[in-house]
Amino acid sequence: MTTSPQRTRPTAPLAERSSSEAGPTTTSPHRTRPGAPLATGVTHALLAVWALLSTVPLLWALISAFKDNSELFGNPWQLPSTWHADNFARAWSKASIGDFFVNTLIVVFGALALTMILGSMVAYVLARFTFPGSRLIYYTFVAGMAFPVVLALVPLFFIVKNLGLLGSYEGMILVYTAYALPFTVFFLTSFFRTLPTAVAEAALIDGASQEAIFFRIMLPMAKPGLLSVGIFNFLGMWNQYLLPVALNTDRDKYVLSQGLASLSSQQGYEADWSALFAGLVIAAVPVIALYLMLQRRIQAGLTVGMLK
Amino acid sequence: MNTLPPSFSRRALLRSTAAVALAVPAAGLLAACAGSSGDSGTAAEGKVTAANPFGVAEDAALDVVVFKGGYSDDYAKFDEKLYAKKFPKAKVSHSGITEIGTELQPRFVAGDPPDVVDNSGAKKMVLGTLVADGQLANLSDLLKAPSADDPDTTVEDTLLSGALDPATFDGKVMGLPYVFTVSGFWYSKTLLDKHGWTWPTTWDGLTALAAKIKKAGIAPFAYGGTTAPDYFFSPLMALAAKQGGVDVIKAIDNLEAKAWQAEPVKAAAEAIASLASSGYFLKGSEGLDHTQAQTAWVQGKAALYHSGSFIENEMKAITPDGFDMVFGTVPPLSKTGSLPQTALHAVAGEIYVVPAKAKNVRGGKEYLRTMLSKEAAVNFTKTTHALTVVKGATGEEDFGSTALGSVTKAIDAAGDDLFSYLFPSWYADLATTLKTEIANLLAGRTDAAVFLSKMQAKADAVAADSSITKFKR
Amino acid sequence: MNHGKTRIILLFLALPLTLYAVLVVSPYAQAFQISLTSWSGFTADKPFVGFDNFQRLLQDPEFWRALAHNGLLLVVVPLVTIALGLFFAAMLNVGGSGGKVAGVRGSAFYSRVYFLPHILPVVITAVLWQFIYNPQIGLLNGGLEAIGLGGLAHSWLGDPTVALWALIGVLVWAGVGFYVVLFSAAMQSIPKDIFEAAELDGAGRFQTLTRITLPLLRETVQVAWIYLGIHALDAFALFMVLAPSGGPDNSTMVLSQYLYLSAFQKGNFGYATAIGVLLSLLSLLMTALTFGTSRKKTTIEF
Repeated sequence: MTTSPQRTRPTAPLAERSSSEAGPTTTSPHRTRPGAPLATGVTHALLAVWALLSTVPLLWALISAFKDNSELFGNPWQLPSTWHADNFARAWSKASIGDFFVNTLIVVFGALALTMILGSMVAYVLARFTFPGSRLIYYTFVAGMAFPVVLALVPLFFIVKNLGLLGSYEGMILVYTAYALPFTVFFLTSFFRTLPTAVAEAALIDGASQEAIFFRIMLPMAKPGLLSVGIFNFLGMWNQYLLPVALNTDRDKYVLSQGLASLSSQQGYEADWSALFAGLVIAAVPVIALYLMLQRRIQAGLTVGMLK
Repeated sequence: MNTLPPSFSRRALLRSTAAVALAVPAAGLLAACAGSSGDSGTAAEGKVTAANPFGVAEDAALDVVVFKGGYSDDYAKFDEKLYAKKFPKAKVSHSGITEIGTELQPRFVAGDPPDVVDNSGAKKMVLGTLVADGQLANLSDLLKAPSADDPDTTVEDTLLSGALDPATFDGKVMGLPYVFTVSGFWYSKTLLDKHGWTWPTTWDGLTALAAKIKKAGIAPFAYGGTTAPDYFFSPLMALAAKQGGVDVIKAIDNLEAKAWQAEPVKAAAEAIASLASSGYFLKGSEGLDHTQAQTAWVQGKAALYHSGSFIENEMKAITPDGFDMVFGTVPPLSKTGSLPQTALHAVAGEIYVVPAKAKNVRGGKEYLRTMLSKEAAVNFTKTTHALTVVKGATGEEDFGSTALGSVTKAIDAAGDDLFSYLFPSWYADLATTLKTEIANLLAGRTDAAVFLSKMQAKADAVAADSSITKFKR
Repeated sequence: MNHGKTRIILLFLALPLTLYAVLVVSPYAQAFQISLTSWSGFTADKPFVGFDNFQRLLQDPEFWRALAHNGLLLVVVPLVTIALGLFFAAMLNVGGSGGKVAGVRGSAFYSRVYFLPHILPVVITAVLWQFIYNPQIGLLNGGLEAIGLGGLAHSWLGDPTVALWALIGVLVWAGVGFYVVLFSAAMQSIPKDIFEAAELDGAGRFQTLTRITLPLLRETVQVAWIYLGIHALDAFALFMVLAPSGGPDNSTMVLSQYLYLSAFQKGNFGYATAIGVLLSLLSLLMTALTFGTSRKKTTIEF
């Protein structure tokens, strides 16, 4: 993390604000003592309620994954009488959650790398240079954010098929990338516009090539923005459901979201619910673990771009 | 957070998005031409012999896609082995999936469909649409071909009567329904015996039984409101048919004016609605999916469940020992109806099709012929406890299943009094409306009159819509 | 100072533009074409019918209902999520005890926990809630009965009056954590001396929040609103798993789902893409309106 080299504008003192923004504070006749113990108690209680709401379903899924089928349909608040670890084995082998996992890693990381490289290249060019058609290109990208993907699904299927990429990792990676570009370009273009260019100008005078300036000077400076948009894209791609369902027709190449949905619809005919829960846990644990390890980075990364 | 870099200004975001929103996208100008149209399958050809009536090329690959649902797909793997034994040079590929339409529809569009498809399950493709679009191979030569077990009998002669109805369009057989399913109420014989209850022969008897069950602290009926409320449309049709004869149903299928307003249909709808108003449904049924409802039923929270005979296999993982699942025919509204009390709603389902544009159409038909051999049919019933459309393939054998035994008995008792309705598989729009409206009726949100008028209105709309291909029976 | 400019522009744009044109722009353009046909989705030829599909759409009550549901989602989901997000963020950051404007104890723990539902894959969330809402064995009804509120138990996904609200609940549940973190970060970036000045002026905690903190967060809230709007329109996977055929009495049918079902279940591809075209135009319009009406008079800089 670098300290911010420049401030946009000195802070205006509070008194100078127009009344419409934050009027001068009226002095209340009897001052409420901040931090009354009762208020703090209520605060903590409310916070704890939401914390429970956020965690109980997850814990419940974890515990349910150890129940057998009939217990699962018993009292939801009961612990399993015997802990069935075999559910996990069934989920892993029968539902091939393991394979889905590997597929997801390949597709998501391939697409993420490609998106970041291509997206930052486009964004940089659009941010730094004006040339005929630059605005059109920018708006064409941004317009991509407003259209529902489901609209493009069928024609897209043909295009991918004609390229011979149906049900292949390469095809999925290219499609994921193409559909992640609009947000990436939009976000990074704004980001590059705000970066100071003095260093780049100096390097140009020293005879560095434009490409070298981009890779050696601008990209490192854009790290926080890249991180932010990278995390966004990662979550989006990890959760992508519609694109793989339509284009990833080869069962061996299924990604997790597809695999879980297929496992879930399978339950309509087999009723092996405990394996489904085990599958959900297997799929969720790595994401949650990753989050707990990197939570500061992730939270900062997600919010950095949305704040000044 | 004072270590933040000078990130981009949010106003940039606001400005540019607004500009885009206000600009009409010029995407339409860039219209590219659509994908190449799939030409009809270059079906590989071999020599026609007595053993190879369709002239299958012996090295042509066969691509089989099966719905992996209540019957799982092990039986299909068995059939594929039979096929591979006959054509050892052919590479047979198998996939068992649940979302048939989701996965195959794009392949149909692309002119690259599999050679054999088991078009079943919640996400199946609408058969009528496929037929209207000329996507399916006509199976008449399969029916005329000699059967796998006896060269002197045609395939057609080995099938149960009426088995081909659901796949017959304007007299042409476009698919092969493989599984013979009867619909009715299911219960645990153990439970009824314990209370000294017996399966009734009249509708009044059934409502009396329901009252007793309710008194005993058990919900009389359950249904899966979110995914399969239409399971409970079958008893409504059964009541109507038993009261007024099969023509009542045919009129509905044929979209005749006022077909839904016929007296027998009214009486039937009111009978079903009264179950709801009497509070005979398991609490919360409208918010359960069919699996959850069936689970509640095998756990004894509800006594009776209406479904097809696939239920036993679907629930085998969680049905408790000693449950003794048994089939009960829907009892008629009156003893003086047009059909006997033993008449059954029977549907040949699990419709297999051979896509017209498949690469190996001949192989697809040969595979279906293999499925109709005694060996394949017996294996199917043995592994799934469900009957195939092959006449008498398993005789009296029940493979240790009370459910299968009771279904076999019911079919024997019904004789030729089998009926079915086809409009949901003909008209997707009507099927959707049916699902919505029957769910409303069962949940007590509407009454019989509203249900019938909504169905009638939709049927009239479909009849009046010239863009929808119509079928008659 | 622009030598090498042309080269870098061509070099950097060639590949991404090609990819984007082939895989994104061209399918959308084709979709616009398809919306003018009566294509069923299976055939190679697509009979041209002009604006027929659009005319039928405008007379289709199902379409209007789905549209109304989308409208409700667009208002309620951002409103509730942002309100809760602000509320919790305020508690975490300015709800501390001891007279100091500071975070409560354990605020890091809370925000970490709140964030969890947000990173859970949607499909997992959907299956999980299917079980929570199960009227027979569900966690929710079981919990309500356990705390003596059995009267509130519902058949959540089976009752047309509550089904859509149940789905909205899931969207909010998954979203709040992210916005708590976002607003917390925004609050922490407000210089401390502003708060100290307010305290010297005798402002209470509540006044500080309403008069100072919230106005300063206005832009962040606006951005959050847009993201949530997009998110609410994009709840497709969740709706497909929890209410695959549009919910009881179609009470949870949304446009994207109606599009999908028209195409893949009913085989009306022309009609379905017409829905998609309208949906696109609507979302463009909505974005325009959002920005059009929220032109800020002045911006606070600090």
